[in-house]
Amino acid sequence: MKFYEKIIKKPWPYWVGGILLGVLNIILLALTGKAWKITTGFLYWGLSFLELLGFNCLDWYYFSVYSNQLRKGETFIHNYYTILNLAVIVGALVAVLWASEFKFKKIKNRRQLFFGLLGGIIMGYGTRLSFGCNIGAYFSAIPSFSLHGWVFAIFMFIGAFIGTKILFKYLL
Amino acid sequence: MTEIKLDCMYEACPIPLLKAIKKLEKMDIGDVLILETDHSCSIKNVVEWAKKQGHNVDYMEVGEGEWEIYIEKRK
Repeated sequence: MKFYEKIIKKPWPYWVGGILLGVLNIILLALTGKAWKITTGFLYWGLSFLELLGFNCLDWYYFSVYSNQLRKGETFIHNYYTILNLAVIVGALVAVLWASEFKFKKIKNRRQLFFGLLGGIIMGYGTRLSFGCNIGAYFSAIPSFSLHGWVFAIFMFIGAFIGTKILFKYLL
Repeated sequence: MTEIKLDCMYEACPIPLLKAIKKLEKMDIGDVLILETDHSCSIKNVVEWAKKQGHNVDYMEVGEGEWEIYIEKRK
């Protein structure tokens, strides 16, 4: 019971989570040869939906500038990122079920819906310009000694600082 | 001593913490803030913040994945 309380139920300290994420990211890179990314998978899901509607997305200017990183035989749905994203969702589900904290969360009000959608659209657009979200563009980039990770980090902290000020002053 | 409820249901970081900071500013010493949340990060960051400020703080799981955080304003 003490083990359950301590390991499964209570939130872990930030430093434990940080170390685990770092170690697991190294293992993932060593096993697959690819960095951990999340939003690229969502891009592909969106593209495959647009293709269903008849768009030919790979002709877009974006893909003449940025390479689409699919390997041979991979499709927009069947690829490395889909499996990783599903694994994150399944892992999180197992964790909340085990701690018996699972619940469906409602949308609080129209304001939350509006700002949620707005934030999501801006974030989605940003991830495509910066090689990913704070996982791909920051967490995976800096240990790969990529300069773009540091540029991303600086602006992410500035953005979070300004965002929190706006949130505190005008939106709460 | 008054008890003040603060509804942070269905809201994610950093909103519960920011709402608590804003509310506590307007409260008197000795008042208790009851923050209702279903965001598991809150029982970490709100509780840590309140402790650092020197308030008395405790929390309880009142339902599956739902918590009440009690903060007694000390200064």
